[in-house]
Amino acid sequence: MKRPSVRSTIILGVLVVLLLAGASWYAITFNDWRLVAPMDFGAYEFLSKDLPMLIALILFNLYVLYLGALLIWAIVANKRRLAETRTTRKLDPRLGLLGVFGLLGFAGFWTYNAFHQVYPFIFFLFFGFFGFFYEGKMSNTLMDERYVENKLRAELAAHRVTMAALFVTLLVVARGAIQGNLEHTLIAVLIVLSLTVALDLFLSEYLLYRYDRADQLDEGGEA
Amino acid sequence: MPDFECRLKQYRQRKELTQEQLAQQVGVRRETIMRLEKAQYNPSLKLAVDLSRAVGAPIEEIFLFP
Repeated sequence: MKRPSVRSTIILGVLVVLLLAGASWYAITFNDWRLVAPMDFGAYEFLSKDLPMLIALILFNLYVLYLGALLIWAIVANKRRLAETRTTRKLDPRLGLLGVFGLLGFAGFWTYNAFHQVYPFIFFLFFGFFGFFYEGKMSNTLMDERYVENKLRAELAAHRVTMAALFVTLLVVARGAIQGNLEHTLIAVLIVLSLTVALDLFLSEYLLYRYDRADQLDEGGEA
Repeated sequence: MPDFECRLKQYRQRKELTQEQLAQQVGVRRETIMRLEKAQYNPSLKLAVDLSRAVGAPIEEIFLFP
């Protein structure tokens, strides 16, 4: 079976999100916010006007399941290829653009003020996906002993930086409250944890690339 | 930076091997051979033994430690 391309998967995702946005607009404008605003599903009665939103939600959930299946497929294929060829996984550096979704984390400030919800802050994690840019540059590289050594060095350096950030955060938040507000402390912890994990993901890939490739500019060729 | 002298390049040239060919023989990348020849990378014992066999010279003549 042929593996679906990244482009078709992204196009499908954009279509599903647009459909969900359209259905949400319809529900807000013509259906009194039904299925958009929180509601009691115990007393739910079907209305024909709910249909666009229901279809959009079903398609969205199917797409999320499809992404999960793709992820499992990629992990299995990657392990098989790793055992056969000892090379890094094939990855397009343009996937690093996914890091832009980290900006969605700023939506957390709005959702907290409007709905008292803090979960969008974890979108700051996506900043870590900028690391795909460097991983893509190291795509399909033979993992010889120097590569493995550099990888361990890079991961160790990244973990040290992120552990230091976590340690400082702990010292600050352990005092109890930021601006005298426990909720603000939770938000600060969420933001710092998300950014720290993102930094770890990014730094591991960036430092590996730097250790392995950047110094090659001064290296001579065949002799 | 490893503090040693590496004579891999002259033994490789004596065997008329390119960096790419030697890299393939010992299962590493060409960049790793470059680093080795410039004494910028300290190899594992296994890689040193593999290199020694590939170029047909004893390890202690390829890698000279003070």
